[in-house]
Amino acid sequence: MAAALAGLTLPAVVEELLSEMAAAVQENARIPDEHLSLLKFIFGPSAIQALDLVDRQSITLISSPSGRRVYQVLGSSGKTYTCLASCHYCSCPAFAFSVLRKSDSLLCKHLLAVYLSQVTGTCRQLKVSDKQLTDVLFAEKKQKA
Amino acid sequence: MAETLRRVLNLGTSARSGEEDTAEAGPPLLLLGGPGSGKTALLFAAALEAAGEGRGPVLFLTRRPLQSLPRGTGAALDPLRLQEVRLRTLWAGFPWKDCLRYLKIRFQYPPSTHELLQLLCSAHEARGPAPSLLLLDGLEEYLVEDQGPQDAAYLAALLLDTAAHFSHQTGPGQGCGLIVALQTQEEGVSGDALQVSLLQRYFPAQCWLQAETPGPGQHRLRACLDPGGLGPRREWCVAFRPNGEMTITPWPTQAGNLSLDKGSSSGGQP
Repeated sequence: MAAALAGLTLPAVVEELLSEMAAAVQENARIPDEHLSLLKFIFGPSAIQALDLVDRQSITLISSPSGRRVYQVLGSSGKTYTCLASCHYCSCPAFAFSVLRKSDSLLCKHLLAVYLSQVTGTCRQLKVSDKQLTDVLFAEKKQKA
Repeated sequence: MAETLRRVLNLGTSARSGEEDTAEAGPPLLLLGGPGSGKTALLFAAALEAAGEGRGPVLFLTRRPLQSLPRGTGAALDPLRLQEVRLRTLWAGFPWKDCLRYLKIRFQYPPSTHELLQLLCSAHEARGPAPSLLLLDGLEEYLVEDQGPQDAAYLAALLLDTAAHFSHQTGPGQGCGLIVALQTQEEGVSGDALQVSLLQRYFPAQCWLQAETPGPGQHRLRACLDPGGLGPRREWCVAFRPNGEMTITPWPTQAGNLSLDKGSSSGGQP
């Protein structure tokens, strides 16, 4: 999954790091310290915040019988943000400002947390109906309206 | 979906440049051009090309029905509304192969951004075979209603997510391609530069259509295809005759040199 996402938007170094982290977690059930250092070097404070979100199991993978999936991340402020499973999008203000508008960040902490939860296999799973998944995706637009 | 468009642009060439055709979807493609630059004709040609591949149907989204079939994209037909054309082609003596291609193209006309978002958000509820190609004509018409980069990003991301879901349904090795046409200002860099820059994040492959000095009795454009890191940038000449017929030939400067350097002829493109 991370590879699919990375193919569109992430630099190759991040894709490679996530891939190596996944292999390390599979082998040793933990993320090596050097990977954590590199993560912090690339993403700055967002890395720690994202790891904190993963530790608190704030990421939920919502899926429906159709096979379509979407992530929701419970932010530190208590607000829930939607992250699309197949590409680079988060509904949080930091993504709009720092990633889209200013281009001074690769990711927001919620998207990074989604990637890290994929690596560690620690996200919660929620099965919903196809109609309910439509409502989750469309709610993003309704909230804006 | 640079691969389908590349095949369309190569259709008019006698030598197909030795490139291998592949059934893989490839990266999402943004088709950029000014008003009347032939974006719809190329999208329709891509729809016909994909419909003839023997895979799933093609989903063509546009705000309003096409008023005529673009000529030079498979068959020259009277300018009828497309639904009527679909029925009449069955009786008009056209080859069955062409008729079947038309029937594999599903047109949907979301009249507003709200309707388009609803369609994309609920795409997984649709039954039947998953599309092999998703096309959207006139993205700019759906963006004007919205303000802010996050709205544009969400629409682009939803288009990708919908195509990814269709790819998941069609299975490995095939996938659903995505081509989106966006009308840009006539004069290069402009107020929409930020929007185009944002969309380019989501569409690694791009094709620009730029008006060239017209020849006698025809409208001529330069089509420049950047397949998003999957090969060299290529250029073609797309010409429209007064009757609307479209012809495509390799751009003269590269006719004998198909491995153009990427930056050699971008001509002020983004």
